[in-house]
Amino acid sequence: MEENTIISESGATAETKSSVPGSTGGFFRSFWGAIVDFFKKDLVRYIVRRVLMFIPTLILISILVFFVIQLPPGDYVSAHIAQLATEGELVDADYAAQMREDYGLDLPVWQQYLKWVKDIVWTPTDSTYYRLYHSHHNWKFSFAYGRDVWSVIKDRLGLTILVSAVIMIFQYVVSIPIAVYASTHQYSPGDYISAVIGFIGTAIPNFIFAIILMYLSYKWTGNANVGLFSQEMLQNGVHLYNFGEFLKRMIIPIIVIGTSGTCGIIRSVRAQMLDETARQYTLTARAKGVSERKIVMKYCFRAAMNPTVSGLGGVLSSLFSGSTVTAMVLNMQIQGPVLYKALQSQDMYLAGAIVMVQAVLVVIGILLSDIALAFLDPRIRYSGGNR
Amino acid sequence: MKKSFRKVLTLIIAMTLVVSCFAACGKQPAATNTPASPTSTDAPKTTPTKTPDATPIPTEPLKSEFSEAPELAAEVKAGTLPKVEDRLPKKDDVFVERVDATGNALSIGTYGGEINLGPAGGSWGLSRPTLESIIRYNTDGTYYANAIKSFEHNADYTVWTFHLREGMRWSDGEVFNADDITFWYYCCHLTNFDGKKSWAALKESVNGEDAWAVLKKVDEYTVTWTFQNPKYPADFIENGDFKWCWAPEHYLSDLIPNAGSYPAVENEYYKANTITDEQALANAQKKKIDAATVKDLGKAVSYNSWNVAGIPQINSFVLSTKEGNNNKDADLCIMERNKYYWKVDAEGNQLPYVNALHFNKTSDDNQTNLMFRSGKIDIIELAMDKIASTLADMGGKAYLRTFASTNWGSYQITFNYTSTNENYAKLFANKDFRQAMSICVDRAQVSELLSNGFLEPGQCAPSEGNFGYDADWEKKWTEYDVVKAKTLLEGCGLKMGADGFYDFADGSDLVIEFLGYDGINDTSYPVFEQYFKAAGINCAYKNLEVSAFDIEIDNNTWTAVIGPHTSIGGLSLKSRVAPFVPISQAAEWYGEYGTYYEKNGEAGVKPEGDMAKLVEIYEKWKNEPDSEKRDELALQIYAVHKENLWSIAYLQAAGTYTLVNSRIKNYADNLVSDDLYQYANIVHYDILYIAE
Repeated sequence: MEENTIISESGATAETKSSVPGSTGGFFRSFWGAIVDFFKKDLVRYIVRRVLMFIPTLILISILVFFVIQLPPGDYVSAHIAQLATEGELVDADYAAQMREDYGLDLPVWQQYLKWVKDIVWTPTDSTYYRLYHSHHNWKFSFAYGRDVWSVIKDRLGLTILVSAVIMIFQYVVSIPIAVYASTHQYSPGDYISAVIGFIGTAIPNFIFAIILMYLSYKWTGNANVGLFSQEMLQNGVHLYNFGEFLKRMIIPIIVIGTSGTCGIIRSVRAQMLDETARQYTLTARAKGVSERKIVMKYCFRAAMNPTVSGLGGVLSSLFSGSTVTAMVLNMQIQGPVLYKALQSQDMYLAGAIVMVQAVLVVIGILLSDIALAFLDPRIRYSGGNR
Repeated sequence: MKKSFRKVLTLIIAMTLVVSCFAACGKQPAATNTPASPTSTDAPKTTPTKTPDATPIPTEPLKSEFSEAPELAAEVKAGTLPKVEDRLPKKDDVFVERVDATGNALSIGTYGGEINLGPAGGSWGLSRPTLESIIRYNTDGTYYANAIKSFEHNADYTVWTFHLREGMRWSDGEVFNADDITFWYYCCHLTNFDGKKSWAALKESVNGEDAWAVLKKVDEYTVTWTFQNPKYPADFIENGDFKWCWAPEHYLSDLIPNAGSYPAVENEYYKANTITDEQALANAQKKKIDAATVKDLGKAVSYNSWNVAGIPQINSFVLSTKEGNNNKDADLCIMERNKYYWKVDAEGNQLPYVNALHFNKTSDDNQTNLMFRSGKIDIIELAMDKIASTLADMGGKAYLRTFASTNWGSYQITFNYTSTNENYAKLFANKDFRQAMSICVDRAQVSELLSNGFLEPGQCAPSEGNFGYDADWEKKWTEYDVVKAKTLLEGCGLKMGADGFYDFADGSDLVIEFLGYDGINDTSYPVFEQYFKAAGINCAYKNLEVSAFDIEIDNNTWTAVIGPHTSIGGLSLKSRVAPFVPISQAAEWYGEYGTYYEKNGEAGVKPEGDMAKLVEIYEKWKNEPDSEKRDELALQIYAVHKENLWSIAYLQAAGTYTLVNSRIKNYADNLVSDDLYQYANIVHYDILYIAE
């Protein structure tokens, strides 16, 4: 009983009073029971409350997104005309005025906003857009790409998620074991080495690190490995025979983007672990003869994961957007550079759509991390979801 | 580097002198003569008004049989492609590439491979190495019929006749004939479906109203353009906008609406159709062409059509239809060999030699450079300070090609002569002020600081080797004399204030805010600022994103500019008039004076004095049929510029430098980079080949 009470105070709620620590079958049974109980009692109300909060949040975000994108002077037409002038094609003011009228850019910003939101939420069946695209959600056209916004986003979505997921997995797989090791071997040479490794990615700005690695790659192999795909892959696609080449090209992005995030995870998990290993319940468990491995992995580690789990809220969003600046430097074919180009050319519908989707994913991500946290820590549930 | 630059300039001068000698000695052809195009028996050599036979041209007869790339031969063998003879125009109408744009004879190439280039760029990027236009220029400014077989005009220049190449085909194998011209003119251009009805080449003024040429189909391969007033070469065949006059009728006819925005134009060839805007968009969608509006669709399919996969072309390369490689924004955009291309080399081998042009998307110039160094890109344009290191790194695997500049000097500044602030407007109008702003800068030091001494001190004037070059002009107001500058400023009525800077006579502060765009002058402005301030001119700098910059210019809410968006100067008036004469809302140096002309006096500021004189001479130039007299008038315009120096430049113009992988052959040297020549188009990519 005593042991169970201590564990509960620590925030590790999976243990119930009937469970017997050390018995694997009992642990899983009680764990599953806790999940079922959690979903039955609290979660529905909790989720409903959070989802209702989505609506005003998203409206606010959409207003901010639309108006912030329009803040710079000029609009897509002026940016487009400037680009044409650079290429030697001069257009007159009437042409520009006509373009603005065609794109609805001559309307006041609030009217443009309402029309944008209305068409995304519901485009009626009797509209030209529906008849042409058979969709009730008109995300508008990308001026810069001359295509439907959603088709531009879709082009790179799969690869963006794949690359970001691989990098994210790399970050967690590398940093969590290092953090656990560092915390259990505090001030040992291994701890210092892991700190140095962890800090390299954070200390060197990603874009510089990327350039350095590309240059070294060029010097050592004669190939700078610019981009995720070779020219051959861009022509014939990625297949088994050239998959090795693709993996080779993933090395630099993984090192650059991956190491930029490992330091944060290593330091926070290590600190949390050190904090937990000094708690009374740990000392008690140790005094009762529970194995060190079990203390660390079953109790301390679980509690130490709280900050990491709460950080997962932003993961969905970063999966979608990728790392913009680094992606530009490495010429990666993911979503970030598309957003950059859209912002640069004041392609507000494309930029707006990308930022909106990111915002929605952040909100969903936070909800999921809150659910996970609420599950891990009953105090969050009992306080009505306020952390 | 300085030495090699001088060498280039010397070469250009020598070339110009040779051309001038030939031009002076040559016969003047009759007004109704047909300019010879480079057919199977003739090579590029003449225009209606010039005799530019500037270079020796090989004239051996074309061999009787045509040959083709092995890939195409295999398709012929498999029965999926007609024989090469059936794909080319009839023998006398085939275009034979014998010399490059500088007049040097070409090597006979070998087939195969791809040329890898950097990113495709904007709307015109894919067209630069591939577009085939009505006429084509040599570097000496002479030109000849290109896509059409020949052209001619009647005695009073009211009727122009175009002869097409018999048997020439679109890239999908359909016949290219007069119907494609009439279709373009009446269905795409006059309806403004292409968004370019404003083209001056086909427009004239009749009784104060705009009127357009009447196009007649004489036979399958002949059309005539008829005007009510004389239409002289400068305003028609030489007009830089008038690059093409055709569109594939068989492909586009169901994409042109006849409702609302684009009502049909009455003509004897095409009846008004009943296609609505929505139907046009739906038809386009079936052809995998995505467009937000019919206006976008029109411009995409009948103007920048090289950017749309599937649309038949007559260009040397056409955009691939393969998913993933079929748009200019793709990571690898592919332009494939046009199997029906109508040009051959001197031995009858159908061009182009290479299978495809690959445009590799990069997001940074350094990536492009790294890819070039590692052999993944074959041709790159490079800043002068990176040439030596890149070439050294390549160790003989690349060579340098220089494009002469047609710009009028580097590091230009100009002022708002139509400023709404009278103090500034009056000051800027005073030539002494401009002279002071010019001579208060130590150009030699600027050269060291901004170009490592690579660029010589200079002025806003035509570069050596270009039309209108004048050594005195290039040196005008280039001495460094701060004392004289201050005297001139005081002569302008400025008074030295307590803060060490000049004020206006009424005591108000004089602060010149220089606008720049996209950070181009972020590093150069501080260099100039120190000189201006040392001369007593208080100044500041504001950098804007280019569209915001343009808005400030259009709204006339600016004072001065460093690095104008539309600089004064260029190849000549033939290329573009707007940079030389205040006729549109385009260049900063004439501000609202240009708006006045463009809006027929309904807006802007009426030009006076020398500014008005420019417009007067331009009107004469436009209506002058004789090429030499037109050049004289152009020189008169130049003289007005020399006198006024409305824009000031501090160093001579920088050329464009291209590095080419050594495996690429037939890439000419000493070319000229200009809009009239369509920049890289003058390289003639169809004749490049790969020899490992």
